[in-house]
Amino acid sequence: MIEFNRVSKRYADHDALRDVSLTIGTGEMVFLTGHSGAGKTTFLRLLMLLERASMGTLRVDGRDTSRIKGRNIGRYRGEFGIVFQDHQLLYDRSVLENVALPLEIAGFRPRDIQRRTRAALDKVGLLGREKVNPAVLSGGEQQRVGIARAVVARPRFLIADEPTGNLDPQLSAEIMGLFEAFNRVGVTVIVASHDLALISRLRHRIVTLKDGRLVAGAGL
Amino acid sequence: MKKPAKGLGMAPRPTLASWIHHHRQAASGSLRRAFRLPVATGLTWLVVGIALALPASLLVILQNIEAVTSDMRSPARFSVLLEVGASLDDAQDILKRVESRVDVQDVTLIPQDQALARFAADTGLVGMLDSIPNNPLPHTLLVNPVDNVESEGLAQLARALEAVRGVDQVVFDTLWQARLAGVLQTGRRLAMGIGLLMMMGAVLILANTIRLAIDARRDEIAVIKLIGADDAYARRPFLYTGLWSGFGGGLLGAIMVGIFFMYLAEPVNQLLQLYDSDRRFTGLGIMGVMNMMFLGGALGLFSAWHAATSQLRELEPR
Repeated sequence: MIEFNRVSKRYADHDALRDVSLTIGTGEMVFLTGHSGAGKTTFLRLLMLLERASMGTLRVDGRDTSRIKGRNIGRYRGEFGIVFQDHQLLYDRSVLENVALPLEIAGFRPRDIQRRTRAALDKVGLLGREKVNPAVLSGGEQQRVGIARAVVARPRFLIADEPTGNLDPQLSAEIMGLFEAFNRVGVTVIVASHDLALISRLRHRIVTLKDGRLVAGAGL
Repeated sequence: MKKPAKGLGMAPRPTLASWIHHHRQAASGSLRRAFRLPVATGLTWLVVGIALALPASLLVILQNIEAVTSDMRSPARFSVLLEVGASLDDAQDILKRVESRVDVQDVTLIPQDQALARFAADTGLVGMLDSIPNNPLPHTLLVNPVDNVESEGLAQLARALEAVRGVDQVVFDTLWQARLAGVLQTGRRLAMGIGLLMMMGAVLILANTIRLAIDARRDEIAVIKLIGADDAYARRPFLYTGLWSGFGGGLLGAIMVGIFFMYLAEPVNQLLQLYDSDRRFTGLGIMGVMNMMFLGGALGLFSAWHAATSQLRELEPR
């Protein structure tokens, strides 16, 4: 369970989040929406401990994240799978090596890495492309590689920041379908998106931010 | 209600095994990277190699000089000339006093008659010396100091012997050895000083190389940290880059020293033969090569650790 309790984030020149209180249940799928600058990315950055809250408390499974110290942050982030709008793939490695990265970091055996990586690529429909360089793939395929990398270590939370921002409507729907599939097996999914037309078609909670304030979708 | 995800389904390997695996991966990965950029890698190795080769060459040359001069050395010995009027009994008394000193190993008395006879025999002037009414030579004590007395100790002993009543003059035959020892000691310190400066230069160059390598892989570091890597994991490949640069530099330095000594050995050995020495010019040897490689590796690791730790601390995400 993720609990934001009166969380604010203040930068030198503006408030990115103001007094946000929100609970996301275990195994829930939530869309986070709002205009550019509404605070969606700050919300996710606080969750990933890329930033610390200026005020308020953020708890993940009962743990106060402000108490998680430097050397434990890596392990904490390992509980999350993260999908970026611009994929953030490593282009000096193959698709397989990109997807295997979280397992390498977690210390899995090479044969388990192979098995799990192929299974993840199978789920996103890229089995058979594992040896190619991601640079030769289309935008949609690269996003699938990013999703495979995010889920390969079977994270408890899957976070996506504008994952369909660069994709056409059909590919966007397919990507959302993948997130729903992972949510069905119990993964808590948080997707930041401003594509209201797409997310309103899906039957999940929509949390709306405006100028850093939570304006809709606060409750479970 | 949905069943929550289990997180990492199959448990990762035990910490030690995964730690070893990560190290193996980082070591082989950084070595592959180094060989993929042969010119840059070669230049870095060359810089480290030169920094190590210069002081190593100086030290080995000094070792060779020390070995050769140790063959030429006679034990340090003082000739203590007593006053001309001193009797043989006086000489025996002085001998006992000198012999009782802790810094003296043994004392031999050469009475004036014996000294004159030896002088006459050595010079062939027997007839002429017979015509001299009084023996002009004094009784003489040959004083051998205990072993391991440094030049300062020898000087102290000389002063003490001069102060003994009945002693006219103290002659230290091996002063040149003390001077040579002083020169060699200065040379050693000079080599150490130059070595230290050169190594500091190598550390700075290696640290800068690591900084540039980190900068070139900034995006990759950001990604791996976002997906769960800690600083130690992100730092590891760079530590191995530093280690390989140091090892490679040490090896290259040893090769340079080896080539230089091969060039030097023949004329030096000819010179030694002219002086009837059995010594031969010796190079670094296997241990010397190993020492240079390990020293290079340690410098590389130190530089990389310092550069990577400070650089990663400033990179996002923290």
